[in-house]
Amino acid sequence: MVFEDIYKAYWQKIFRLCMGYINDYDLAQDMAQETFIIVWQQLPKFRNEANISTWIFRIASNKCLRQIEKQNRFLKAELPINLKQEKEENIEPQIQFLYKCISELPETDRIIISLELENIKQSEIAIIVGLSEVNIRVKIHRIKEKLTQKFKENEQ
Amino acid sequence: MNSNINFNELWAKQKTGEPNKEDLLSKINKFKKSNLKRLIITNLLLIITSLFIIFIWVYYQPQMITTKIGIILTILAMVIFVIAYNQSFALFRKTTNTQSNSEYLKNLIDIKAKQRFMQTTMLNLYFVLLSTGIGLYMYEYTQLMTAFWGIFAYGITSIWILFNWFYLRPKQIKKQQTKLDEIIGKFEMLNEQLNEKK
Repeated sequence: MVFEDIYKAYWQKIFRLCMGYINDYDLAQDMAQETFIIVWQQLPKFRNEANISTWIFRIASNKCLRQIEKQNRFLKAELPINLKQEKEENIEPQIQFLYKCISELPETDRIIISLELENIKQSEIAIIVGLSEVNIRVKIHRIKEKLTQKFKENEQ
Repeated sequence: MNSNINFNELWAKQKTGEPNKEDLLSKINKFKKSNLKRLIITNLLLIITSLFIIFIWVYYQPQMITTKIGIILTILAMVIFVIAYNQSFALFRKTTNTQSNSEYLKNLIDIKAKQRFMQTTMLNLYFVLLSTGIGLYMYEYTQLMTAFWGIFAYGITSIWILFNWFYLRPKQIKKQQTKLDEIIGKFEMLNEQLNEKK
């Protein structure tokens, strides 16, 4: 597979995963870019025995988990200036609220729910995260309940 | 009240500008360069120092075996230090980011624990070798001095070595370990989240 095609197909998805994880627009963009740097590095090693989507989401979610190391001593990497202009325009409060709620969940739950909302099959999520499918299903159910509750509280 | 919020739809509405490919490629290049630079700088430092010591050996032609052993130990100390330094980076290069999250986390915890061990052991070894090396190396030259200056030279060196051993070394080790312990703790916390048998 060609890197550019992957980049086009997955950029938004990976960005959303990072955004759900960290809920910081600039940081999420940085993390997404760093994910693609890893993808670009590892691509020659990619064998078709695995699903490319599983492969990429594993890299991205592992990247998110590593973020915990950088917290408190994170230095903002340089971002292309032209990106910042598009920042958070016309974002509905509800969307913002969803991402905020997700980013407040326990770290691994953030990844699981982000993948679920990205319409990834639960069997694939299980492979990405490394838990059983049953476990994933239970977790997703609980997380969704939690989110629904938070939304209801927010409406009142 | 709408109890069926369509999270998927909301989720998908978050969009971001796609950075153009050139930006990404330039970032990739920068990343490659900075990694290479770091590797070259540390190794270069070792090579230059070792060359300098070898130059002393050849130029001044030390007569005593203690001097030669001293030189070898000093070089060894630096070689070990740089090898350990390079290896702690290599550990990360070998991890596959394409493992599942739970495997990856376990792997990271292992690596950090290994790093913790390596840094402490290597730093101790480095100090012992370097101090012994310098002590032996000085012997031949202090022989040429009067007793007073000989003792003086060794006295100063010993103070410096003791200062390193009892002050700088523990401080350095503590600094590294606090950092590593904190990270290990965080990774363990993440791993715990996946271990929950609910």
